[in-house]
Amino acid sequence: MGKLSDLIENKEKRVLCLGNEAIARGAIEAGVQVFAAYPGTPSSEISAALIAAAPELDFYAEWSTNEKVAMEISYAASISGVRSMTALKHVGLNVAADAYYSFMYMGCKGGFVTVVGDDPHCFSSQNEQDSRWLGVSANFVILEPSNPQEAKDYVKLAFDISEKFEAPILLRSTTRISHARADVQYNEYESNFKEGDLEKTPRFKCLPAIARANHPKLLEKMEKIKEWIFDSGLSIVEDNDGEDYGIITSGISYSYVKDALKTLKRTIPILKLGMISPLDEKSILRFAKNKKNIIFIEEVDPYLEDRISALFIQNGLNPEIHGKCNGITKRYHELDSRLVAEGLIKVIGGELPSLSEIQKAVEETKEFIPFRPPLFCAGCQHRAAFYELSKVVRKQDGIFSSDIGCYSLDPWVTDTIVCMGASIGMANGFARVIKNKPIFALIGDSTFFHTGLPALVNAVYHKANFNLIILDNRMTAMTGFQPNPTEDIPIENVVKGLGVDYIVEFDPYNFEKGKKTIEDALKHEGPTVIIMRKICANEWWRRKRRKGEEIEVFHTNSEVCIACGTCIVQYQCPAISWSLDTNSKDKKYTVIDPAMCTGCSVCSQICPTGAISKVELND
Amino acid sequence: MTEEYQMVIVGVGGQGILTISDVIAIAARKKGLHILGSEVHGMAQKGGSVITNLKIGKELHSPTIPEGSAKVLIGIEENETLRFIKYLEPNATAITSKTILNPVSWKKNKKAAIEAQEKIDENLAKFKAKIIKIDSEALALEAGLSLAQNIVLLGVLSQVEGFPLSDEELKEALKERVPKKYVEQNLKAFELGKNAIEKTN
Repeated sequence: MGKLSDLIENKEKRVLCLGNEAIARGAIEAGVQVFAAYPGTPSSEISAALIAAAPELDFYAEWSTNEKVAMEISYAASISGVRSMTALKHVGLNVAADAYYSFMYMGCKGGFVTVVGDDPHCFSSQNEQDSRWLGVSANFVILEPSNPQEAKDYVKLAFDISEKFEAPILLRSTTRISHARADVQYNEYESNFKEGDLEKTPRFKCLPAIARANHPKLLEKMEKIKEWIFDSGLSIVEDNDGEDYGIITSGISYSYVKDALKTLKRTIPILKLGMISPLDEKSILRFAKNKKNIIFIEEVDPYLEDRISALFIQNGLNPEIHGKCNGITKRYHELDSRLVAEGLIKVIGGELPSLSEIQKAVEETKEFIPFRPPLFCAGCQHRAAFYELSKVVRKQDGIFSSDIGCYSLDPWVTDTIVCMGASIGMANGFARVIKNKPIFALIGDSTFFHTGLPALVNAVYHKANFNLIILDNRMTAMTGFQPNPTEDIPIENVVKGLGVDYIVEFDPYNFEKGKKTIEDALKHEGPTVIIMRKICANEWWRRKRRKGEEIEVFHTNSEVCIACGTCIVQYQCPAISWSLDTNSKDKKYTVIDPAMCTGCSVCSQICPTGAISKVELND
Repeated sequence: MTEEYQMVIVGVGGQGILTISDVIAIAARKKGLHILGSEVHGMAQKGGSVITNLKIGKELHSPTIPEGSAKVLIGIEENETLRFIKYLEPNATAITSKTILNPVSWKKNKKAAIEAQEKIDENLAKFKAKIIKIDSEALALEAGLSLAQNIVLLGVLSQVEGFPLSDEELKEALKERVPKKYVEQNLKAFELGKNAIEKTN
């Protein structure tokens, strides 16, 4: 993260920052007064920045237990008259959507903005869900910036539009905007914080009769916004010269179009939409009128293409449509300027420098390039816990229903990973139909509080027979070590309160004891709860280093090591590698990198020859 | 300078890829140039292969760089250089460290590891790039900071023909970016890198 001082300083200046930091700055410049969020890549840095800034600027910001709670907090603040915001990833929006659909009916008061980070290419996600469709299904009002500067400026604009129309606004970012680094112009700002109050009106009660009346009002509001966009400056027409072709695009895809046309040395009329729901029908129809070909450039789904094609039919326009329908760009993964240029060539002609020599070299060399998947960190407590679990119940002898978090990286047993909280929900289901194998649900502390709880209540209530392992590493590590309720609310108390009979805790760094804990739990009728409790090794190591404390590391005795590979090949600790001179059998042994070792000691416990021991400080 | 200078920085998560990307960005900013880059965060970072794109120029649009279009590549790990060298345009420059970090797959399959290491020069040569190979580990140790392999390569970069920032500009940015107590070692690492090659033209 960039410097906090840059983020909050009330001054005109140009700052190098991440797209997400620019979005946070936009919220500060807009005078956001309440912010609540649950972390999720690629949105987390927005929240981290605002939560760091809040005490300095005297507004309220928190890490909430899940996206729905965060959104409800922000909405309550909004209908009490103050500016509020939440940020989440695309799948987090599913969790919050239950509330959001109705918020649209009810409308807001103080500006209410939700930033969603979509993740085309699944860099850090379980799917490529395209949030833009919520503009159709839920009448969301959606702004889509095309670069970090615009993202910052649009946040401010979103608050204004939200208040003008009393409409919640969704700002859609994607990974390549959120995690772009650019120089962004920051502006001065005025904070106008105020006490909130709730107006007593029936519109905030989504009862059937009121909802029935609210729905046509919402549609009316969308029509008003539609009229307003035309003069808002959000739709930009460039190089509108010629009737053969026109490109309609928005968001990050616009930037690819610009670079693609530059590479192709061509000028084609472009309509860039800043608001993608409701659509600026007037600008679109005016742009498309008399054009023979309309080319849609967008990532993942044909959202603009399908909606605008329908608009053309309704208005008697008949240009030839190019886009996903004729495959000029694909319906999955992200685009880049080359892919867009290749797509455009199919319609407008032209040539690109050949990549065939490079592609030939790639083909000839690819077998030599090692696969380097992300791994558990050195000393990771999850690695220890999963290794113990895999030694008690082998993969084929059990069912392992896991969840979203660092522990998704388990290389040994995991069978299913779906979405936040699904581990316990699905274990409930497996328990109904699989009777001859032990069933495990595996979930982290943050995910347990996020959406795991209701599924455990269900298991207790319906007596589902499975073993729940809660991997409590004291924080939300995967998304950047955010704090969560496990800091103050002991999980064992929660579980006990729900009526679970069998609850045990263990420290995974004690290999034999960890195994025995799991073995013992298997003798009991479920649901049983096994709590692994150990602070995230990465964070623990960082704190020790910051304090300048010595870390006790381990080393291998080369005379005793038989190079069996237990610590390297099986346990896969990244701090351990083979000795350099591995050509000679006599000299092959393992070496532990003292700069990476966290001293967890598990390798020394699983080494069959006892070759690994603690480095004595006076060595 | 030309309108737009595109580069990629690659390596393994934790090698200081974002640090040198930051230093270059700070130096370019001070010179009044625009910056646009793209980074990888979250899950993919942990010990995985990492690529960062950086564009420096006057009018910049998309944050990523397609294959066959970068002017220079910095690789802090040699296998990662091989993985990503396809991003270079023909006859561009790859500055690569000799450092090799064994992935788990190689720890299991020794034969593949040896073969790949023996063939790495031959494989890199299949791409029509100018390869500058540097023992960045030794130079970083000489500078007194084993973690400064990335900075050694930054020093090399300062000597690449056509790179729009001078060594003085990079050094100023470096001083700003690295922790105060390590400034001296970092500057030394930079100088050692810079002196490791003659002006490449």
